[in-house]
Amino acid sequence: MPSAAALRLEIERSLAHRFPSALTPMPRRFREVEATGIAAVDELLEGGMPVGAISEVTGAESSGRTSLALAFLARRTAEGRICAWVDVSDSFDPESAAANGVTLRQLLWVRCRDRSVTRKAGSKAKPWTRLDQALRATDLLLQAGGFAAIVLDLGGTAREHGSRIPAATWFRFRQAADQTRCSLVVLGKAAYAQSSAALVLECRREQAKIAGETALRGFAYAVECRRERWAANVMPMRKPPVSTWQAYATWEAEKRA
Amino acid sequence: MSRELYACVHAAEFPAQALLRLRPDLATQPVAVLEGRAPLEMVCALNGKARRCGAVLGITRLDAESIEGLKLLQRSAESEAAARSVLLECAAQFSPRIEETSQGTACAFMLDIAGMERLFGPPERLAKRLRSALAAAGLRASVALGANYHAARMKAGAQRGIAVIAEGEEASALASLPIAALELTEEQTETFILWGIGTLGELAAAPEAELVARLGDEARTWSALARGTAAHVFEPIEPSLSLEEFCEFEMPVEQADALLFIGARMIDCLVTRAATRALALASLTARMKLEQGGWHERTIRPALPSTDRKFLLKLLQLEIAAHPPPAAVAALTLAAEAGLTREVQLGLFAPQTPEPSRLDVTLARLKAIVGDDRVGTPMLDDTHQADSFRMDSLSAGDQTPLCEGRAVHMALRRVRPPAQVSVVLRGMSPAAFRDGEHHFKVTAAYGPWRTSGCWWSAGVWDGEEWDVLAVENGSASLAYVLTCDRLRNAWRLEAIYD
Repeated sequence: MPSAAALRLEIERSLAHRFPSALTPMPRRFREVEATGIAAVDELLEGGMPVGAISEVTGAESSGRTSLALAFLARRTAEGRICAWVDVSDSFDPESAAANGVTLRQLLWVRCRDRSVTRKAGSKAKPWTRLDQALRATDLLLQAGGFAAIVLDLGGTAREHGSRIPAATWFRFRQAADQTRCSLVVLGKAAYAQSSAALVLECRREQAKIAGETALRGFAYAVECRRERWAANVMPMRKPPVSTWQAYATWEAEKRA
Repeated sequence: MSRELYACVHAAEFPAQALLRLRPDLATQPVAVLEGRAPLEMVCALNGKARRCGAVLGITRLDAESIEGLKLLQRSAESEAAARSVLLECAAQFSPRIEETSQGTACAFMLDIAGMERLFGPPERLAKRLRSALAAAGLRASVALGANYHAARMKAGAQRGIAVIAEGEEASALASLPIAALELTEEQTETFILWGIGTLGELAAAPEAELVARLGDEARTWSALARGTAAHVFEPIEPSLSLEEFCEFEMPVEQADALLFIGARMIDCLVTRAATRALALASLTARMKLEQGGWHERTIRPALPSTDRKFLLKLLQLEIAAHPPPAAVAALTLAAEAGLTREVQLGLFAPQTPEPSRLDVTLARLKAIVGDDRVGTPMLDDTHQADSFRMDSLSAGDQTPLCEGRAVHMALRRVRPPAQVSVVLRGMSPAAFRDGEHHFKVTAAYGPWRTSGCWWSAGVWDGEEWDVLAVENGSASLAYVLTCDRLRNAWRLEAIYD
């Protein structure tokens, strides 16, 4: 009687022209990840966001995207690493970043603006739009290397504009991030990087926490993983898990600390 | 063995050399330098090719212009000062004791090289190295070595290349030099020629007592000089490090690329000069003299002092591209501040940070895209006023341990500048607001939180802040920060919680 191994080999051989290695499980690649600093999210992502890849954090305003990104940057700057925030709509709040533990001295903030310098002195080319500036700045930062994380903040950019970013740009970002071991975090209202993104998180606000009907104490947010490139190649039978986490007002957070 | 040994470096036609030093494009052309006020300009210096074309010193501009192919340049005191300091720095590499012996249009320095054999080998080798160093700096000079100060000085001024005067052979080495080497007046020269004395050898052979009887006590000195026995008290100067290069253009330059072509050569010279003292360039200031008068000045300051020519040129290029001169440039001065070179020991476990020089170039490029004041590190001001910060330069920091398990703070997304909104109040709290296009219905409002400050100055603020949850046309509610400016009674949308 043939052994199980011999049977498996025979079946694989007979199906090889259609399905190579049909019965051999796919080797799983373990990617380096960096913790976000939010336990619920790290648990959902089995460690954190991937290093050297594009992670998209999507959702509407007030969905906790920015808080999540700041928590991630706080961990990186605490390690003595340099990070960058490319701000398309000039909406970054340094006070919030400092409150979340980001070491501002190690954060490069690139503030795009409507009317910028023209491309070359004397040229009649149109000035760069905010989105163009942001994409060029991100490209430069990724190529420069040495940044632990770069946040491309498209949170205030309309979906129709964000979805017009060419796939080639995202592909280039992905390659550069991979080579420089930089975590590129894209904040947006929707996922724009498509197949170039290693991770897509969708955020939403669950409820507001009130203190005595007079003060906003914090928010409860939900995070759902929409895409994870290097996850185990297993089709989920259930609805994807959702993690919830809280962000608090400064006074409440200090009280809890 | 004599204890004295001198080396004289003599750069003839110095006005021409100073102008051509940074202009390799003119090196193959006949060039004459004019000085004086128009129309009485006269040729004061020329290069070898111009001499072969028939140009001589002292001819007028009109005569010079009649020589085909002769390039005429205006004498520049700034260029000569920069070239002089380069020559002096080259000389200072070989001896700490230097005395200036410049005369006329020549620039000359006398080096006391007694005891330098241990460092540089035999005097001939020192002379060769000295000439090589000068050639690398774009200058051509003759070098004469001798135990007698004046013998070395006169020999260097009278011939090209390297001359070594052996000890005791001064008289024979100087014998062939014309008596013009003694800096006589016209009358004295004529007298010597009438007597049949045309060279120093003939002068040395004449009886000293007879000369003194006829020409006075000065003749004793001339006789000693001609024999190579005149004494001299050395008065050394202290060369100071002045990293500055100057170049004046014949025609005003409009293109930045053309400007940087010369700038690259100047940076090369500055870096070489700094490197000879084990220094690097901490900052580089480009002063551009504009055609219409006035100056345009830009400064680059790398994060770390650098001797990387390409890197400094790239930074300068980006700076000039971001802030181009408003008019064509007539002259360019590059002045540098020297700094200590730093070697950074990389650690296996040290966090990865951007390479300083590469980061400088990246920041310059970013500034070219978004503007100077839009790139940097935010630093919070010491105030309770909302959105109060300043931009600072990025610096690599140390590890600052983050306390584990700390609560996440609600982050804000600022609206810059704050949007003016009209608010409908219910009681004392906002019930709805409109920002021009959109109408929001407030579902919950928390506040007011009152802040005020700077009541003693023009920057006074006094407002109340509301955290509101609002919906627009049935969409999901968003959390906003509304502020009411109590001084102007105006409502503004300050930020969105995210």
